[in-house]
Amino acid sequence: MSLLSIPFERHRLDNGLKVVLAPDRTIPVVAANLWYGVGSRNEVAGKTGFAHLFEHMMFQGSAHVPKNRHFELIERVGGTLNATTWFDRTNYFETVPSNELELALWLESDRMGWMLPAMTQEKLDNQRDVVKNEKRQRYDNQPYGDWDERLQKLMYPEDHPYRHTVIGSMDDIDASTLDDVGSFFKTFYVPNNAVLTVAGDVDPAAALEQIKRYFGDIEPGAPIPPLPGNPSLDPLIGSTVREHVVADVPLTRVIMAFRIPPYSSPDFAVAEVAGSLLGMGRASRFYKRLVRERRVAKSVVTYVFPLMTGASMMLVWATGYPGCDPTELEAAMSEEIDALADAQQSELDRAITLTETDLVRGLERVAERADLLSMFDLYFDDPGRLNRELDRLRAVSLEQVRSFVGERLAVDNRAILVYEPEAGR
Amino acid sequence: MSTLDRSKTPKGGPIRNFDFPAVDRRVLKNGLDLRVAHMNRLPVVSLNLFVRSGESALYGKNAGLAVLAADALEGGTARRTGSELAEALERIGARVSATGGWEGTSIGLSCLAERLDEAVGLLAEAVLEPSFPEEEVARARDQQLAGIRQRAKDPASLASDTAPTRYFTEGSPYARPIDGSAESIAEMSRDQLRGYASANFLPAGGGLIVAGDVETREVEQMVADHFTSWSGAPASIPDFSSEAATRERRVYVVHRPGSVQTEIRVGHVGAARSTPDYYALSVANMVLGGMFTSRLNLNLREKNGFTYGVRSRFSFRSEAGPFEVSTSVGNDVTASAVREIMVELKAMAAQGPTADEVAAARDYAAGIFGLQLETAGQVAARVTQLVVYGLPERYFDDYRDNVRDVTTEEVAAAAAIHIRPDEVQVVLVGDADVIGPPVEELGLGPVEVVASPS
Repeated sequence: MSLLSIPFERHRLDNGLKVVLAPDRTIPVVAANLWYGVGSRNEVAGKTGFAHLFEHMMFQGSAHVPKNRHFELIERVGGTLNATTWFDRTNYFETVPSNELELALWLESDRMGWMLPAMTQEKLDNQRDVVKNEKRQRYDNQPYGDWDERLQKLMYPEDHPYRHTVIGSMDDIDASTLDDVGSFFKTFYVPNNAVLTVAGDVDPAAALEQIKRYFGDIEPGAPIPPLPGNPSLDPLIGSTVREHVVADVPLTRVIMAFRIPPYSSPDFAVAEVAGSLLGMGRASRFYKRLVRERRVAKSVVTYVFPLMTGASMMLVWATGYPGCDPTELEAAMSEEIDALADAQQSELDRAITLTETDLVRGLERVAERADLLSMFDLYFDDPGRLNRELDRLRAVSLEQVRSFVGERLAVDNRAILVYEPEAGR
Repeated sequence: MSTLDRSKTPKGGPIRNFDFPAVDRRVLKNGLDLRVAHMNRLPVVSLNLFVRSGESALYGKNAGLAVLAADALEGGTARRTGSELAEALERIGARVSATGGWEGTSIGLSCLAERLDEAVGLLAEAVLEPSFPEEEVARARDQQLAGIRQRAKDPASLASDTAPTRYFTEGSPYARPIDGSAESIAEMSRDQLRGYASANFLPAGGGLIVAGDVETREVEQMVADHFTSWSGAPASIPDFSSEAATRERRVYVVHRPGSVQTEIRVGHVGAARSTPDYYALSVANMVLGGMFTSRLNLNLREKNGFTYGVRSRFSFRSEAGPFEVSTSVGNDVTASAVREIMVELKAMAAQGPTADEVAAARDYAAGIFGLQLETAGQVAARVTQLVVYGLPERYFDDYRDNVRDVTTEEVAAAAAIHIRPDEVQVVLVGDADVIGPPVEELGLGPVEVVASPS
């Protein structure tokens, strides 16, 4: 029996807005969550970082909501709010006491429909500064802070939409204009390019009426233009590509990435399971062998990114101890990756069981439920996929994992980025 | 459908009240404070085992010992190697993590309810029979040392580690990073860890806090089964100082050549968890820098664009922890940002907040409290605070009322006492060649520039 059985219902307004309602009346908390089908992959040359800057502008007010009022109103009721930008999408979310759902719907609908009248050059200048500070603080002033920029250039060809980072370049951020804000809004921030999920303490029928009231008269936009560049990719990189960086970093770090099937592929689940065997938990192969037994790595990290465009990416990294020889660390990682070809069923079972706990614990929060439902509806037209997540992973066989190692994690499909401390440091 | 007037802010309906989950309490014969909060939204459980004492009782060569002992707890037991222990836990989907803190050590466990008994058995084995094998101790020690090295190269961590050395008098445990120094950690032995565990991982004065889909009698049975012979009391914590290093305002610049951003910390010794004006002071801090619409954030971020974000906080501990404003700003606006921080500190200390600001912060604090009772982990963490700081049993039942009762005058009084702009220590990590001269011109006090660690 599956523990995942989150009830939900699905609707679509006449203007194309998808709506998911997931009631849970146990505690008086409700989450409103919007996913827009736009991210850094939609940015054209010279406009990198704009999707993220635009996300900031969405908090600068709309026709009926002055600057800062959105934050003031939500904080006043004890709510939380934020937004994030990613390669394939941008999401916005509020969690509020359930008697304040209408407030969240009003705020979200006002900026979906009537953002542009509130835009000014002063607000754009201000948020450009904020975003440039964000970039310096989180990337430029950080050891290893340029790793994703370097890795994406290794992994993706010149004309691919994942070639550039979400934060973008300083020059492009500086060059952005109010006209850009206007055309981006009209192109992408349209109801037919969004999913609204409401999860938690809500009466679905009443909520649907409110949603129609607030969002129903927003005009739909034109169909979303095709992605810039060439999103299609060969399944494999074709060789081992690498970059060696000597920089002011504290410890040697070896980052290894592999091209894997996109999130939309049924084979993506195989990559997820393989990634869990390598790096999930303290009984994972990387932790057990590299950190605990051989002590060549101080820490290990594994990510399997759920990317939609052409191909996705699996990434492992290991950070060495002072004096670490990067060649030895890389060889040790390669050994463990190759050895995964003898994966055992007990390891798969462990990974699935651990994933089950993590998933169920995540679903304790209505915000998390809403975010996942929005994602599954935006990406796959199928919010019900949430309740089948474990089945999807359980269906992965030992043989699939073993052949994945040979097919996807071999030397003809690796991007390797090595950071080494400068001599004398 | 009536036409919608979008210019009208919707008025929320009546709030649906929601009580803090009922907590059963038993103090066991061995002195362990058992608390069980029953929640049944999903079949999950979060558990914290808390034992005293912690890093605030450790000095000199022992600095960082509690953190290291907690990290090395996963090293195995008399019956299992570290890998076997990890496999046994993860096979049943249990997540365990141990953390050495100022007041004590917390061992957290989360799992599905149906696996709780098995998981508690493993947790008991790990805490009651740790073997601290030599190679696992060496691994934990090397990791902690490497972590110290990483933090020295990370400007935000470097600023956060440096600032308390300026706030607290030398010799106060709060002056140092919680996980000690390279010197103290490098010398730590297996015997020290074993000695620390046998003297401190004891039930009296500690707590076992369980929240989730489990009955109290089931938890009692698990404790009876798995913690049978556990007894003893840790030594009482010696009094220690959290005195200020100085009452003179000073500027301390850690020169990090080539920085494109300055990490700013402005603070001084704050207040203890037991401070009688805790609620008023918490509200004062929210207005100053504890929420997005705080004075500091609206000024430095939304008005001036100096930063991605700025916050202030009081670290309430058993003794007075730091009060601190923290942010990261561009080189060219570093002096302006420090100036604006001082403007806001002075205004808050001298005039206090307005009645509207206090109302907004009170509503925020009371409202978000209710929103943060969703998960077993959130509830377990709150109940653990009751044990750690010896707060009344009904503390969280009354929390929202107590916050709402705070008056503007009380908030102003708390701000005037606990926020002292004339005594702050300003700590900057950045390129001193660029930021030094304009900061000096602010005339805040003596400016000292030191090299960043290599």
